Amino acid sequence: MATTAESQTTAPVATAPTVLHTGTRFTRVLGVLTIASLAVLALFGLIISPEDITQGESVRILYIHVGTVWVAYLAFVVTAVSSAAYLWKRTRSLTWDRIAGASAEIGVVFMALTLLAGALWGRLSWGTFWVWDARVTTTAFLFITYVGYLAVRGLGGSHQQRARRSAVVALLAVLEIPLVHFSVKLWRSVHQDASVADRTSNVTLDDTMLFTLMLATVAFTLLYVWYVFHRQRVLTLEDAMDDSGLDLALAERRREGEVAR
Amino acid sequence: MKDLGFILASYISAFGAAGALAWWVLRRGRTLARQLPDEDKPWT
Repeated sequence: MATTAESQTTAPVATAPTVLHTGTRFTRVLGVLTIASLAVLALFGLIISPEDITQGESVRILYIHVGTVWVAYLAFVVTAVSSAAYLWKRTRSLTWDRIAGASAEIGVVFMALTLLAGALWGRLSWGTFWVWDARVTTTAFLFITYVGYLAVRGLGGSHQQRARRSAVVALLAVLEIPLVHFSVKLWRSVHQDASVADRTSNVTLDDTMLFTLMLATVAFTLLYVWYVFHRQRVLTLEDAMDDSGLDLALAERRREGEVAR
Repeated sequence: MKDLGFILASYISAFGAAGALAWWVLRRGRTLARQLPDEDKPWT
């Protein structure tokens, strides 16, 4: 049995936290770059880029619409890849699960913004906020699927149970992305087909408009990377908080047991 | 500019939501980081 003196020397010393945030030098630089690129995007999207010959000024909404949907797709693919990395025994780590969760949360927010910007653009171009069109409907379905994924993550159980069941859902949910992308080819749709990314297309785009479109994807991608870093660190802290709460509850039970004896 | 209300609504909603989410993530991180030891922060 340890003496009082021994237990004093071996007992863990509780230290006050000195790091009171989830940032690093890298994320701070990334944050500044993101804010700068979003500011330039607003300048080009709202003022500098010209209006479209057929769409007029409403083309400005498409810089937001395309940029946000790109990030939503990226986020859901990253969720699936991270989930596969968790399920694969060689790379199994809760860090992958937290990256998957963080990425899906951001994807859901960006998908909601895509639907909102699309509705505003649709009101100007199609005369209505919503149509039960193949692309629009499958996109809404994708959004609801990932809201479901987040709900699955919120179910009870251990961190490992959460990681396993949500990883399976993520790998099934990502199969919807090709369906959304090719919906305009599979069914009759009022939504336009791929134009800029399609090399066989004869669509020509003004240089400033193309630059603004590319800038939107870059700016929103930087924002996404910044979010993932911070959000997965917050999830790490939430898990640690859960664990420490469990440790405290167990210690409390042990003390109660000792008193009862 | 024609249709200014719709265009501004799309930009304000996107930038506003992005800013609100960033603020919430940073605030949540700071709240939790204050309550946990540095050993639980692998990025430090």
